Amino acid sequence: MKKILIVLVLAFLSGCMSITKVEGEQVVNNRMAVKVTDAWNKVSAPGTQQPFDMWTQEGLTLDHLRLWAAIKPGQALLVRPAGSVPVGQKAARVPTYQSGMPLDQLVNLFEVLYSADGSMVSMTKVEPAVFAGEKGVRFEFSVTRKGDDVQLKGVGWLSQRKDELYAATFLAPKLAFFPRLLPKAESVVRTAQIKG
Amino acid sequence: MTEMVLGGRRAFLRSACKHCLGMGALLPGLPAFAQGVAAVDSAGMPLPAERFSRPALETDEGGLWGMMDREETRLRRSPFVVRDAELGKYLQDLVCRLAGDHCPDIRVHVVRTPLFNATMAPNGMMQIWTGLLLRVENEAQLAAVLGHEIGHYLERHTLERLRDLRSRAAFAQFIGMFGLVGAIGQLGALAGAFAFSRDHETRADRLGMRLMKRAGYDGRQAAQVWDNLLGELKITGGEDVGKRSPMMATHPPVETRRDELLKLAGDAPGSTGAEQYQQAVSRFRLGWLQDEIRRGQFEESLVLFNRFLSRNAQDTQALYARGEVYRLRAGQQDLQFSLDDLTRSTALDQAPAEAFRALGLVQKQRTDGPAAVRAFEKYLAVAPEAADAGLIKNYIAELTP
Repeated sequence: MKKILIVLVLAFLSGCMSITKVEGEQVVNNRMAVKVTDAWNKVSAPGTQQPFDMWTQEGLTLDHLRLWAAIKPGQALLVRPAGSVPVGQKAARVPTYQSGMPLDQLVNLFEVLYSADGSMVSMTKVEPAVFAGEKGVRFEFSVTRKGDDVQLKGVGWLSQRKDELYAATFLAPKLAFFPRLLPKAESVVRTAQIKG
Repeated sequence: MTEMVLGGRRAFLRSACKHCLGMGALLPGLPAFAQGVAAVDSAGMPLPAERFSRPALETDEGGLWGMMDREETRLRRSPFVVRDAELGKYLQDLVCRLAGDHCPDIRVHVVRTPLFNATMAPNGMMQIWTGLLLRVENEAQLAAVLGHEIGHYLERHTLERLRDLRSRAAFAQFIGMFGLVGAIGQLGALAGAFAFSRDHETRADRLGMRLMKRAGYDGRQAAQVWDNLLGELKITGGEDVGKRSPMMATHPPVETRRDELLKLAGDAPGSTGAEQYQQAVSRFRLGWLQDEIRRGQFEESLVLFNRFLSRNAQDTQALYARGEVYRLRAGQQDLQFSLDDLTRSTALDQAPAEAFRALGLVQKQRTDGPAAVRAFEKYLAVAPEAADAGLIKNYIAELTP
């Protein structure tokens, strides 16, 4: 009986998220390098491989920093888990990068991304900026999370190079966590450099 | 308690009547009401006469009411609730016309969610999603959906659902110990539990029709609600969505339902209340259209906006919304479609500021600099504090020789 329980526990744990500490220089998708000054935790969910790296300081329900690198035309910004589409149905659209998208459409992709779970998203500021050494845009947004009604604040950066999208977003509860953790996220984002 | 059961209970509370978006077929035979005295209307159908009393706390129904009370307390604080006294009163009055003597027991909450749905909890908490308010064309169509929900309430279907869920949850918990097969079993058990049975849907539809006709509405509008929604559902569900979709599995086939609804509606005249409805929601409609656009489900949104424009080709908000969806979808010919819609929208009175923004962005893409600058300047003149004012000013500077 004990052996069965151990096997069941191991099987259960193998399906859990893995969390690893990230320090020093990190490379996202082999194409974007960032320097990590504070310790961040990289979170990897089991199963579906997402096209972004996701880091957190305090845990995913409190904050996350997502980093996308070298997203190709036709590639989605997130991947739905396998089996999430009912049999006989077509999959719903997911925000997808396309070649030559103007900046406002790129910002819209992230607006749709954060609305996908029914959360309310509102862009509060969009302005030109440099990200990863390329001309792009910095955007600020607010999110009211559907699951628990928590009010969050977010900031994103994006740019394109040779028909590839590079982006980062940081999101945290607007009270206390966002103002405290944003400088840490910004210090990572400021160091972003495209490789190759 | 396992995570599955906890999640299931939470989802049960939140889902309420998630699967009632269609109007079911109208089969004969309504059960006697479990509480209260049934009166008989002119058509010989029982209608509830007596208000429900709060069930004893130690009963399963009392526990269910308690859970729903807590959920309502949470909902009252939720930022998703649209707090507008005028809209709230309009909807509450409509519910009262439908519910008659039960009016004081039903509390309406408008919830900002861009999907077609309304729910009714056994303690009298009614939720109306803004996606429903955007989609219905008149008061009669809204009355058809709300009457259907009140039908579930009057027949206390949620209590039956809870009792069914208990046995299913215990079953799924057992099979959940066996990995993937168990997981599939859980999903099946939960999906079945969250939906009202076909019988419940049928009874709620039939009662809803009686309530809306009693309130003086045109019963044929109930069939129209379903026809309208079907166009959107077909985008992901295919032509036979009414027969295949798990969401619709508890509902009779669409054609049957529409025909039965029309049969029950008869030829009796009734009001649609189109003007009153448009007036009541006009202040919110642009925001709801933008919430719809933000879903990013372009094809579904186009079905919806095409329907609006087939009703009124001069609908400046719908022209903006459709033009914006074409612009964002950016498929073949979409830029031209977008330009056409946005040009028409901005030429009309009361065009939204966002229509000028979208037109400027389209013109910029078409490399028509002067036209883009004109549209951007108009946008900033109407909305100087816009979130993207910085970016737009930058575009103007780039495009100005």
